[in-house]
Amino acid sequence: MSIISLDHIFKSYNDGKDYALYDIQLDLSENVTTAIVGTSGSGKSTLLQLINGLERPSRGKVFVFGHEINYAQLPALRRRLGYAVQGTGLFPHLTVGENITLLAILEKWESHRIKARAEELMQLTGLPADFSTRYPYELSGGQQQRVGLCRAMMLDPKIFLLDEAFGALDPITRSEIHEEFSRLQKVEPRTIIMVTHDLKEALKLAQQIIILHKGRIEQIGSGTQLLENPATEFVANFFKSQLS
Amino acid sequence: MRYSKNPDLTGPGPAGNNLNAKPPRCKDYTQHFSLRNLCGFAALREIFLICIVGVSSVSAQKIVVGSKFDAEGRILGEIIAQHLEHRGLQVERRLGLGATLICFQALTNGDIDVYPEYSGTIEQAILKLANRAALDELRQQLQQQHRLELLEPFGFNNTYAIVVRRADAERLNLKSIGDLNSVSDWRYGFSNEFLNRPDGWPGLAESYGLRAIPKGIEHGLIYRAIAENSLDVIDVYSTDANIQRYDLVILQDDKKFFPDYLAAPLAREKMPPAVKQALNELAGTIAETDMIALNAAATIDQKDFADIARAFLQKDRPTKSMPETRAQKIDWPAIFRRSLVHLFLTGFALLLAMLIAIPAGVMVYRSPSMSRPLLYVVGLLQTIPSIALLAFMIPFFGIGTTPAIVALFLYALLPILRNTTAALFSVDPLLKKVSLGMGLTTWQRLRHIELPLAAPTILAGIKTAAVINVGTATLAAFIGAGGLGEFIVTGLALTNTRLVLHGAIPAAILAIVVEFIFEWLEKILIPKHLLQKTAE
Repeated sequence: MSIISLDHIFKSYNDGKDYALYDIQLDLSENVTTAIVGTSGSGKSTLLQLINGLERPSRGKVFVFGHEINYAQLPALRRRLGYAVQGTGLFPHLTVGENITLLAILEKWESHRIKARAEELMQLTGLPADFSTRYPYELSGGQQQRVGLCRAMMLDPKIFLLDEAFGALDPITRSEIHEEFSRLQKVEPRTIIMVTHDLKEALKLAQQIIILHKGRIEQIGSGTQLLENPATEFVANFFKSQLS
Repeated sequence: MRYSKNPDLTGPGPAGNNLNAKPPRCKDYTQHFSLRNLCGFAALREIFLICIVGVSSVSAQKIVVGSKFDAEGRILGEIIAQHLEHRGLQVERRLGLGATLICFQALTNGDIDVYPEYSGTIEQAILKLANRAALDELRQQLQQQHRLELLEPFGFNNTYAIVVRRADAERLNLKSIGDLNSVSDWRYGFSNEFLNRPDGWPGLAESYGLRAIPKGIEHGLIYRAIAENSLDVIDVYSTDANIQRYDLVILQDDKKFFPDYLAAPLAREKMPPAVKQALNELAGTIAETDMIALNAAATIDQKDFADIARAFLQKDRPTKSMPETRAQKIDWPAIFRRSLVHLFLTGFALLLAMLIAIPAGVMVYRSPSMSRPLLYVVGLLQTIPSIALLAFMIPFFGIGTTPAIVALFLYALLPILRNTTAALFSVDPLLKKVSLGMGLTTWQRLRHIELPLAAPTILAGIKTAAVINVGTATLAAFIGAGGLGEFIVTGLALTNTRLVLHGAIPAAILAIVVEFIFEWLEKILIPKHLLQKTAE
């Protein structure tokens, strides 16, 4: 039983003349990390945002946790999906602690539970405890990215959506975050869907890679499968250009 | 008018009460549910003042006497009020209510019962008659069109007059207005009202063939201008004490161009006959020379209006010597009291504007199609000149505190609404997307993300509105709402700069204090790094 299913999804624009996504058929299994890779304009962000309802399909159905999305009750669904974006998206008027715990407060968790979970997450991502009273602007890019991950994991979501979440980091910080990320996945395994334009990042973190091109899926498979048996010329060229 | 809730318990009131039998209860109700009573600002202000200053004025039914803001109007208003009091009537004073437009609106609206008006003004500005009309014709039209009654004139004619410096008149042998054609290059300056009325400069110039291009100037400043040689020819009123003070000469109106301006009490028709009778006792008692002397006592000797009126009325009563000239020291208690009223008017209007404009801004943000129409309407309100807006308020809200607060409220809307919508629309789209994707509901996004991020800009809008209001509230004195404007209005009427500064300096200080308060609010409400961001 797959945790996320996309059933013949079409996403059109310009009054149906053009397609951002064309006949996408996809089933994702629990606790597997999937990377969606493609050039810019391939539709990879749109595909990711179908899962938390930020985008609605023109045709076709989206199933999450075994149920078709109820678009009237998106906030409830979204709280079960962790969401992190490029450039962190931390709220500048809230402290680090407030950013991390906002959702739990809105969910009316008891305060000792909120405190314990926040401390646990900060420890897990290597953030000093005294950072919680600082404002995001006082932190480095890598530290902010870690706060963003803590915030997304606060309610312990079973599904985690990462939209170019590590895109804005310098190479050293980025590789540090990659280490944290892999370690987290061992401690708290989740179903992760990450969008990236960086094939190396996808190969490093994901068990399954989707190559998207002009709104269509070119190939799905493990890194090794794609590398050894590219299904199309585009996939072969993409690997060649990215890994050279 | 106020009625006590339980009138029967009070028993027979003062002598005047029988003149104003209380209306039946049902009528009392309609009075109660009128728009201005519903709003109840006046009552609120009273409570506010009682709390802070300890002034209370609970009153039975009274004759409400109004007047324009100029010195002569106030003296006549005081004479009317004191004479009625002498006859045993209860009187409430609403003196110093702007110019003709505001007094007349207040009278037809029933906010005042009587005020002194001039026959020429009634003919030209109120009834807008094309031809000269006799008093009887004016009376007939006032009665038919407005249900008002023009009582017997006081006895003097305060018409327009054209004056020059005595030295100039003697040197050039100027006697009549027509003689002005013999001098060229003279600078003419007229009050704005005179400059624009058909019976003012346009008609005069045509009648005498004058070709000068006059400047418009505030009447309170016009004498100083001619005394300091910045002007050579000005308009005055023929009973003006300043003619003597500045040694000016009236040029004769040979062609009888200026109409008569006979001063008389203009009253509501419904006034009890006994009141009208009492007012008619004043008929013919004030000659032109008397009025000039009375005006001189106010504008030159700076005596109190009430004292001047009392001295005049007591000519044929047991005499009491007139108190000394109005004290030249600063009246701190009055400044304090009026500053509080000023702050109350400004603060209350601001609070109301915030309660309306911030939610309206949020609504505009939620449905942007509303934004243009709403901003246009609110922007349009901003362009209405304050005096005109105050006059428009009278039919709906009467005179006093309520219309002033409503007008200030309308002026405060735009800066707050505009800043609220602008701030919400400019919240970083990435943050909007993240808060949506995290699963915050519409309300939670507004409450926790969008409004806090918009707060610095919204606060700046409120600050702008507050500072504008502190300035505009000085005009509230024109419709009897009090505040620091009272000093300014009276000071202008008396050509008394000292008195003008009594109002102007505290108003300026208030504006600065308001700035400081908002800076302090910013400091405690908004994290520092967000403030720096908005300042960039």
